[in-house]
Amino acid sequence: MPSTRRDRRPRRLPLWRRARRVLLLACCICLIPAGVSWVSALSAPHNVGIGVASVEWLRQHGGNSLVSQIENTYYTLTAPEKGGPPLRSLPQVGVAAVEEEEEEEGKGKAATAYRPANVKPLIQPALPGEGVWKKAGAKVGSRPPVLLTTFRSDPEYPQFVAGVAWIDSSQTHLEYVPGLAEPPEISNRGPAEVPQGLRKKLVATFNGGFPLETSNAGLIYRGETVESMVNGIATLVEYRDGRVDIVKWEHGPNPGPRVLFAKQNLPPIIYEGKLNPNLGDGPEWGATVNNAVRVWRSGLGIDSHGNLLYAAANYQTVESLAKILQRAGAVRALELDINEDWTSFITYRHPGAGEPSNMLPEMFRPPERYLTPDERDFFAVYLRPGRKW
Amino acid sequence: MVSLPRDITPGAAARRSLLADFLIALVLALVAIALAAGIGVVGFAALLLLLVLLLWIGIEAAVRRGLRRRGAAAATVSPRQSPET
Repeated sequence: MPSTRRDRRPRRLPLWRRARRVLLLACCICLIPAGVSWVSALSAPHNVGIGVASVEWLRQHGGNSLVSQIENTYYTLTAPEKGGPPLRSLPQVGVAAVEEEEEEEGKGKAATAYRPANVKPLIQPALPGEGVWKKAGAKVGSRPPVLLTTFRSDPEYPQFVAGVAWIDSSQTHLEYVPGLAEPPEISNRGPAEVPQGLRKKLVATFNGGFPLETSNAGLIYRGETVESMVNGIATLVEYRDGRVDIVKWEHGPNPGPRVLFAKQNLPPIIYEGKLNPNLGDGPEWGATVNNAVRVWRSGLGIDSHGNLLYAAANYQTVESLAKILQRAGAVRALELDINEDWTSFITYRHPGAGEPSNMLPEMFRPPERYLTPDERDFFAVYLRPGRKW
Repeated sequence: MVSLPRDITPGAAARRSLLADFLIALVLALVAIALAAGIGVVGFAALLLLLVLLLWIGIEAAVRRGLRRRGAAAATVSPRQSPET
């Protein structure tokens, strides 16, 4: 019967509705492998929130430029305004000014040891304690291995406070500690925290620089190449004799026998006492937010006596960060991590990693950060053998 | 070669159409995964697109339901009014 056949004929979906259904199904199919990967990444041990872990996952799975674009837009929209009411005081860092301690103990003993000059304040009148070095640890004697100071780093933004740490290389040695997820492929990862047995000598810890994927640079760990070194990139290197330096790498992809570890991160921001003339944006500065975007930034420099200088502050461009390090006495320097989630400099006031404290109070991550396994690689500063608290 | 039956129920036709759409979607998804920089980008884009599509479908369904209710209410209030008037 023809009428029955007409009744049984299925109602055809409009083409646009079928196209929508195809797209919907395609999205669901795409989300299956992505979801499996995301869930497995989040179920692995980590010590950051779900948001940060998801962004990191996205970065590691091809979303680097996407994340950077979003961050650029966000930080540009939330950029701080110039000026503002002047600060009346600086955040308290360290335990005591070095001069005060010297006066108490008598100057004779410390007179021969090198001590950096206080950082000359940039904004006048200077605030109490601005640029004055203070000891990071209690009862470390007249030769403190780590000194801390703060100062206002930009006259156009008088509310920004930079924190700087000076690390005496003659009394300390530096160790690179791989994190839980960074570097991604390493044969001897270790505990991703400061090992219990080494904590009695621990004086400071700080963030380890861009992930290898975003820095496009090399890494040498315990004398072995984890990622091939790249010529021309700023490199924090420790030699087997314990000497630490920041150099522009020119030795090809593999280390020589003298290198214990080397971590590269972008081109140098200061080289031979001068700011890099190309501190503006460009692909050589890694797959990350633009250099001119004001955000938490950190950097590591070395002074003319071979001592390390670490600097960090919120609302910095690469250029302003370089100027902070230069003002503190760095002759060569590289940029380390950016963003509040990754910037940490922690000192320990007592032996055994006792009373950890962030260099700046507004640093986002807790001071116990590197005493539990951490996502990212970092550096630990220990007293040299024979040197006691 | 086996040919598919032509005289089928509306349900079977709908299922057949769904299967065809699924196969097209599968090819589309595989191409997207193969061409994209990584699974993260694909997942991020797919999630955004899925949300947009679900929102679209949701709004469409709500509008249709609202129109149907209004039509039903109009029919209850003025039962003598025919749709042609």
